[in-house]
Amino acid sequence: MTDRATTAALVITLAAAAALAAPTRTTVGAPGKHAEDSCVNCHAKLDDARLREPAAEANSDIHHTQGVSCSGCHGGDPSSDDAAAAMNPAKGFVAKFRPQAIPEMCGSCHSDAAFMLRYAPNIPTDQLQQYRTSKHGQALAKGDTNVAVCTSCHGAHGVRPPSDARSPVYPTRIVETCGRCHGDAALMSRYGIKGNEIAEYKKSVHYAALVNKNDLSAPTCKSCHGAHGATPPGVSSVSNVCGSCHLSQRERFDQSPHKDAFAALEQPACESCHSNHAILHPQDSWIGIGDKQICGSCHSAGDGGATAAGSIAAVLGKASSAEAATLARVQGVERAGMLMDEANVKLEEAHQAFVMAQLEIHTASAARVEAQTKSVLNALAAADKSAAAAEAEIRYRRSGLFVSLIVIAFAMVLLILKIRAMER
Amino acid sequence: MSRRGVLNWLLGTSIGATVVAALYPVFRFVIPPEVAEAPVNRVLAGKLSELAPNSGKIFRFGSKPGIVVRTQNGEVRAFSAVCTHLNCTVQYRPDFQHIWCACHNGHYDLQGKNIAGPPPRPLDAYKVDIAGDDIYVTKRA
Amino acid sequence: MRALEKLWQALDQRLELAPLVEFATHKEVPSHRHSWAYYFGGLTLFFFLVQVTTGILLLLYYRPTAEAAFESVQFIVTRVPFGWLIRSVHSWSANLMILSAFAHMFSVYFMGSYAKPREMTWWSGFALLGLAMGFGFSGYLLPWNELSFFATRIGTDMVSKVPLAGAWLLKFLRGGDEVTGATLTRFFGFHVAVLPMITAALLGLHLALIQRQGMHVPEKLAEEAKRRKPIRFAPNFMLRESVVWLAGLAALAALAAFFPWELGTKADPFAAAPAGIHPEWYFLFMFETLKLIPAHVLGIEGELLGLGVFGLGGLIWFLVPVLDRGSRTGHRTRAFLVLGWLFLAYIVSFTLASMAGVFK
Repeated sequence: MTDRATTAALVITLAAAAALAAPTRTTVGAPGKHAEDSCVNCHAKLDDARLREPAAEANSDIHHTQGVSCSGCHGGDPSSDDAAAAMNPAKGFVAKFRPQAIPEMCGSCHSDAAFMLRYAPNIPTDQLQQYRTSKHGQALAKGDTNVAVCTSCHGAHGVRPPSDARSPVYPTRIVETCGRCHGDAALMSRYGIKGNEIAEYKKSVHYAALVNKNDLSAPTCKSCHGAHGATPPGVSSVSNVCGSCHLSQRERFDQSPHKDAFAALEQPACESCHSNHAILHPQDSWIGIGDKQICGSCHSAGDGGATAAGSIAAVLGKASSAEAATLARVQGVERAGMLMDEANVKLEEAHQAFVMAQLEIHTASAARVEAQTKSVLNALAAADKSAAAAEAEIRYRRSGLFVSLIVIAFAMVLLILKIRAMER
Repeated sequence: MSRRGVLNWLLGTSIGATVVAALYPVFRFVIPPEVAEAPVNRVLAGKLSELAPNSGKIFRFGSKPGIVVRTQNGEVRAFSAVCTHLNCTVQYRPDFQHIWCACHNGHYDLQGKNIAGPPPRPLDAYKVDIAGDDIYVTKRA
Repeated sequence: MRALEKLWQALDQRLELAPLVEFATHKEVPSHRHSWAYYFGGLTLFFFLVQVTTGILLLLYYRPTAEAAFESVQFIVTRVPFGWLIRSVHSWSANLMILSAFAHMFSVYFMGSYAKPREMTWWSGFALLGLAMGFGFSGYLLPWNELSFFATRIGTDMVSKVPLAGAWLLKFLRGGDEVTGATLTRFFGFHVAVLPMITAALLGLHLALIQRQGMHVPEKLAEEAKRRKPIRFAPNFMLRESVVWLAGLAALAALAAFFPWELGTKADPFAAAPAGIHPEWYFLFMFETLKLIPAHVLGIEGELLGLGVFGLGGLIWFLVPVLDRGSRTGHRTRAFLVLGWLFLAYIVSFTLASMAGVFK
């Protein structure tokens, strides 16, 4: 045979083998067309719940409703009513996939851009590639079948798109999904993971925003760790992750001495003070080297950092108590019936400047924090002035009334005298 | 003057003073103040001639800040300037050509919609009426 | 003075003023050790006149809609010159009027002045007290703040318990099923038109009867009154009353200056009721009593029973001139004197106890 013919024969043989080994796509219907096959019809009537469930979930499964029926993954012959013929391994039927096979199986469609674009114009197709970089993917490649594969998070049957609120990977449900394994301390200890991360995350302001305020932009597991490329951010990438939303804080941190110092120590940036999972609302009282205060984990009394921390805490404390005092004063005057619009605007300004001052903490520069607290105190002074004017008005009214009381008393006395005079 | 006369005179004067003291506030009350309406819903936010295209200005609406923005093509829009994340006052950024919040890097487009960062909801939009050079902003009911 | 005399002559020639003047001034006020009680009626009238005046002034700026009511009161209190004074005086005078009305009613009762031939005076007075409390209840809602909204809701809830007519009454009062802007408008109508009209009529009757029948002297004080010279109504008693009225004016000024009436927070129908909601002090004794009654007593709903008892009590009080047979002949039955003291003790003790937080 000629070389060309040999090559051709080889290619054809290989193609045939590949077609037989891989799940057949001949049963894929046109996008959006609901595929009918014998699998669902038969399995729906079975007694065994485990075998019946996938059929029951068929109508809520996006693959099924888009025309990729059971055989799209499991192979076999969906046109036959005979069980043996339908589930024939010779026709490529696979009943239950080994975990190692699942990413490749899903990826055979989901990584094929040309194929996926038939279903949605902007659909991502890098999931498998990312998965291979992830801790889950790397462990699976080494033979560990306890790690998550596609179906662990997305489900196998009854798969819904991530934008569907009932999907296990909808933003508000991701914590529970990851938590199925990552919340199991015994399982996690085998990998040297503490296993308390889920519990810690649930204490955080991000979780509260997600669950209480339904803020879908609030970070959940995948936001920092990645969805498919699930890897903890390395030390250098932590502030990249936080900084993607908290840009102002990140900019200021980058200007601070902490940036280079932490990098040299290979110390995580934001996490060092704010924690990584149990991210709570920061308190001004954290600043300092005392007990329950953060700066003391590295700084000791007398060094530059401790001094800076002390100054920062002092100016913030001063601004905070001034704000509370002025607020109380303005509210008191308001309750007495005075209009305090001007003062309230100034209080807003003061609060605004205070938040900016708290931002400046990340520069670790007492001078910059103080510059902001000066604005706070200025605005508060203006509000105080308004309140003082209102209080003066109240006093003026009282003295006016006092004068009128004198007049009335005088009139009463004279009336009494007149009555006496008349009746003498 | 007789004692009785003095008494009568004093009595008359004090009654008169009482009447004046009582009627003075009444007369002052019936004349309306400068701002004749309860000013809750409508303010003069600024002058058109002082608001260049691709710029914004903070104004006071009652006791809360508002922002009036003039787009690149000259349209005037007004919103509540209270960021829906944690209530900081937003500002207009000519470089972004939209509204931005300095506190946590929240971005709002020129419809007031929150497009990036933590803000969970759009800014309340206000109605803008231009009368000559005056920009009037009214809260929607 | 000459001008005034000429004016008088002109009117007299056309209207024959002399008998009218005589009617208005012939009255004599008996002088005895409890004559001080005779001032309370006039004082109540004084506070009512203050209410009418300040009420009309407030009407110049007030807006009776849910959207604007609170803001308009805020406007009056913060921007209108002396608006704070007019508003605080109006609120305080309402309270002082009712206090004075109660004092007047009890002093009349204890003196037995309801006796024949003064039954109609007692009845019109009873109605006037009810109207005053109606003024208070309807006026309380008008600033449309949190406290007044919830107090109105609880207060109007009570009427739904009335058998047969309850649902109709509730709809009539509230202008709907719930307390809304419709209730506000309706209460405003009651407060500035309906109640003033009825009050004017009854007050006119009440005063005319007193002028016609003269002042009553209690049996026990009859001798003393005969001994001492009675006070001529005009000008002597009127001058004395002026002193009392000036004292009332001074009290109002002092209260307005030192205890200005608060604005509160604007009513939000969807918010939860704030803790410690209670009606104005003159309803407290009823409020606390109703709260004490258990939910069901012998199969009857507790609140209904409470209302029934109050209704019965009110009826007895109203019918006292008829029930107290002895009073018809000038010898009031002792039992009714005791009943009066019991009523007074009950009202005072429950009101004070409620204010002191005993019932919490």
